[in-house]
Amino acid sequence: MMNDRSSVSRTHKLKKFVTDGAGRLIIFMTCAVLLWAFFSVFIIERPDRYLPSPLAVILSSADMIYKGSLLSYYSDTLTRLIFGGVVGILIGIPIGLMLGLNRTIADMFYPLMNFFQSVSGIAIFPVVVIWFGNSDTTVMIVILYTSFFPIAFNVLSGVRAVPVRYIQAARTLGASRLQIVRDVLLPGAMPSVAVGTRLSVGFAWRAVIAGEMLAGRPGLGNMIFSGQELDNTAMILLGMVMIGITWIILDHYLLRPLEADTIERWGLVQR
Amino acid sequence: MSVEAKLIVENLSHHYPDEYTGESVHALEKINLQVFENEFVAIVGPSGCGKTTLLNIIAGLLPYREGQATVDGVSIEGPGPDRGVVFQEHAILPWRTVSRNIGHGLELQRVAKDEIRQRVQEYIDLVGLTGFEDRYPHELSGGMKQRVAVARTLCADPIIMLMDEPFAAVDAQTRITLQDELNRIVMATRKTVLFITHSVEEAAFLGDRCIVFSRRPGEIKKEIKIDIPREERVWKDMATNPKFTHARDEILRLVRQEVTTDDE
Repeated sequence: MMNDRSSVSRTHKLKKFVTDGAGRLIIFMTCAVLLWAFFSVFIIERPDRYLPSPLAVILSSADMIYKGSLLSYYSDTLTRLIFGGVVGILIGIPIGLMLGLNRTIADMFYPLMNFFQSVSGIAIFPVVVIWFGNSDTTVMIVILYTSFFPIAFNVLSGVRAVPVRYIQAARTLGASRLQIVRDVLLPGAMPSVAVGTRLSVGFAWRAVIAGEMLAGRPGLGNMIFSGQELDNTAMILLGMVMIGITWIILDHYLLRPLEADTIERWGLVQR
Repeated sequence: MSVEAKLIVENLSHHYPDEYTGESVHALEKINLQVFENEFVAIVGPSGCGKTTLLNIIAGLLPYREGQATVDGVSIEGPGPDRGVVFQEHAILPWRTVSRNIGHGLELQRVAKDEIRQRVQEYIDLVGLTGFEDRYPHELSGGMKQRVAVARTLCADPIIMLMDEPFAAVDAQTRITLQDELNRIVMATRKTVLFITHSVEEAAFLGDRCIVFSRRPGEIKKEIKIDIPREERVWKDMATNPKFTHARDEILRLVRQEVTTDDE
């Protein structure tokens, strides 16, 4: 009897682990790493040059951790990402909101926004270098610039997409313009804020890597770049893996819980 | 002492430009209407007759130029909490729980939190949503959402409650229940109501007075008094109530005239 029950609960736990978000993630990652190892060890000739195995990558990182360079690269890159990205998003949300609320302002600034949105961060890079040199400021400005547009445009269209019915209902309850913004337009635009944030952080990631490569600032992007020059493929892969894993963690522990508490709870999006 | 009507509409006409062609559409023609305290007035008419336009004007959501509309002697200029509106559907906020939706009006008027909580609970109980206080709208059925909408409007304590086909989007079974409940709620709160509908039965069942609109441009075709005490208005007794069946048949005849002339 006892044995029976414990085995039932064990399979239950296993099932829960498999269907749980984190469990699924771990299983998926394990499979990906195994597949990578399989290719590296059995299929590819000269894996150290073309596709080093996961173990080789970890060993190269151990070497770099020991020297202390990996950690400093990683923290440099993250700092740039967080400052540039967060500032870009924090500027983008109110500006998108303002454009969404006021037709006149929107008509004035929309063409300008469109113009700059089409000019990618990399394209403005040379000008920023002329202004600020190959500095951290340059990288930060490019990240900020790149992460600004997705969030601003999404908030803008999110505010406009809030059903007129909600606004009318609030007005008949006696809401002022400011109260409508607070109680109706802001929460109504939340799905778009979520999408925009996701896009902005994604774009900021790309900008930070490209910016470091072009400006030659130490960081993960630069590490990947110099990996190619030094013919150290393990170093390149290490940089890629760290970028990817960081993004997964950011997404899982920062963005997803935020969405779960708001737009999913309100039934505005389906999980 | 003469009794002054709560809502007075005088010689109200309305034209608006068509969204696509730009042509002027004549929606309402010289509407004269009075709604007295504690009275339930139902407006019924074929679709497109301008009855929703009239309600939007009274709600203050649509500006008007020709004629006069006043509530408690004050000219209507924009929306306000003195005229609560229950819309057809999808008007309660998805990001607020049942109780926060119902208390929204009081919150906007900056009423003290304790008082809001107390009043909200009162109306939750009144509309039969006890136990659903912390649910979000997407977890409720269509009928329950409309109960929330009614409670939200009543909780803000308007002078008059305007209802724009509030039960048109729920299934027939739920509609009958909601109509019975609305009767009970109106009895309990003694609210003044202006109710728009295209359903003849609904108008006859709920209205103290029923106003039949003509086709566009909407004019008042006829007014019918339905002299059934509110306590007696329960659906299961209606089939055998001659006052109800007579009023219903009369309204139906009037509405039919409008619809059939349309077909010719």
